[in-house]
Amino acid sequence: MKDSELDKKLAAARTPQLDADYVEDFPRLVFSRLRTVRDEKIPARHFWRPSFAWSASLALVFLFVGFGIGHWRGKTEMAQLSTPDILANAKLINETVAMFPNRVRAIIRNANGTHLVLADKPEVPNSPPIYVRICDGKNCSSLVTFSGQELEIAGQKITVLADAGGGIILEGSQFVWSNTGKNSRWGNYQIEAKNLTLEKL
Amino acid sequence: MVESDDEQLWIIHSRKGDHAAFEKLIRTHQAMIHALTFRLTGSTADAQDLAQETFVRAYQQLDSFRGTAKFSSWLYRIAVNTCLDWRRREKRRAELHVSWATNAIVEAEAGARDDLDEASREVQAALMKLPEKQRAAISLTAYGGKNHAEAAEILDCSETTISWRIFSARRKLKKLLSKKYSSGKVSP
Repeated sequence: MKDSELDKKLAAARTPQLDADYVEDFPRLVFSRLRTVRDEKIPARHFWRPSFAWSASLALVFLFVGFGIGHWRGKTEMAQLSTPDILANAKLINETVAMFPNRVRAIIRNANGTHLVLADKPEVPNSPPIYVRICDGKNCSSLVTFSGQELEIAGQKITVLADAGGGIILEGSQFVWSNTGKNSRWGNYQIEAKNLTLEKL
Repeated sequence: MVESDDEQLWIIHSRKGDHAAFEKLIRTHQAMIHALTFRLTGSTADAQDLAQETFVRAYQQLDSFRGTAKFSSWLYRIAVNTCLDWRRREKRRAELHVSWATNAIVEAEAGARDDLDEASREVQAALMKLPEKQRAAISLTAYGGKNHAEAAEILDCSETTISWRIFSARRKLKKLLSKKYSSGKVSP
């Protein structure tokens, strides 16, 4: 092939046409992501409870993870809390976390697949992985995260806290849920949470 | 391409947190950045994600833009580094033997294939077979309108290195594109 033929071929190759709505919306998407990045950099609020003393020191890392069940309706599989979940596999999670020391902020499973959320630097404190699964009666979604991380569930920011004894608290501005309490429900959502290092491997 | 006083003003105002000014910078350069991220990834979904990430990084690093190079070159440099970082992350993920978001990626690539004519698919498939630094060099010069000196600055290497990468890339592309692609498959 001659140089001129290659140049002709290269020049004729186009990239996919971007959707007009996407192009119009693109700056807003950038600013939205910028806000999320800023939220991640906001210093953590201090949480203090007698049985969660060590958790408070881990709240230095502040993660904002979109976890909106509402968006997945009609897309995800019909599921129950008892459905086997790859994220509840402690051995797999521990191996995954070990491959990215102090960088795994969360592993999220939703309608789009399973996603690993990594910090740019090894700044996530060592702590036991926490498995959280939430169902709204039709659909379930799950994630693995760490004590001190912040999530957004149904539009509400919730901080995940854990102690060494397996106690896990999800604390929002309007509610507190604990896996040691009798009620596993929060509004329309049924919640399951456990400390994965306490699981049998 | 706007390389004007207006653009300088937008940069100054953006540094002060003026989103309207930064939006003008985004609108001016978004097409070129999307084209580059697609050339480097071969995936529409990843290209869009990385284009957003490029502008987020650009906004955060605006203070480091000194105006000695073109703003477009500075932006290209961020885009290339963002794509290279992404490629490294993808390689590490692949080693996990777990199909993280495999379905989403497959769907995105299928979408990209549908949207391209056969000749464009062949070229993109050939580009994806190049080493990433050669792919970046050929993308910047053949599609980004950059000369060797500008490409060298963007990729942080010497002009000699750029010339060699482009020479090697063109030699491989000639071989790859001389063959008949029966499937027109894009293989990232």
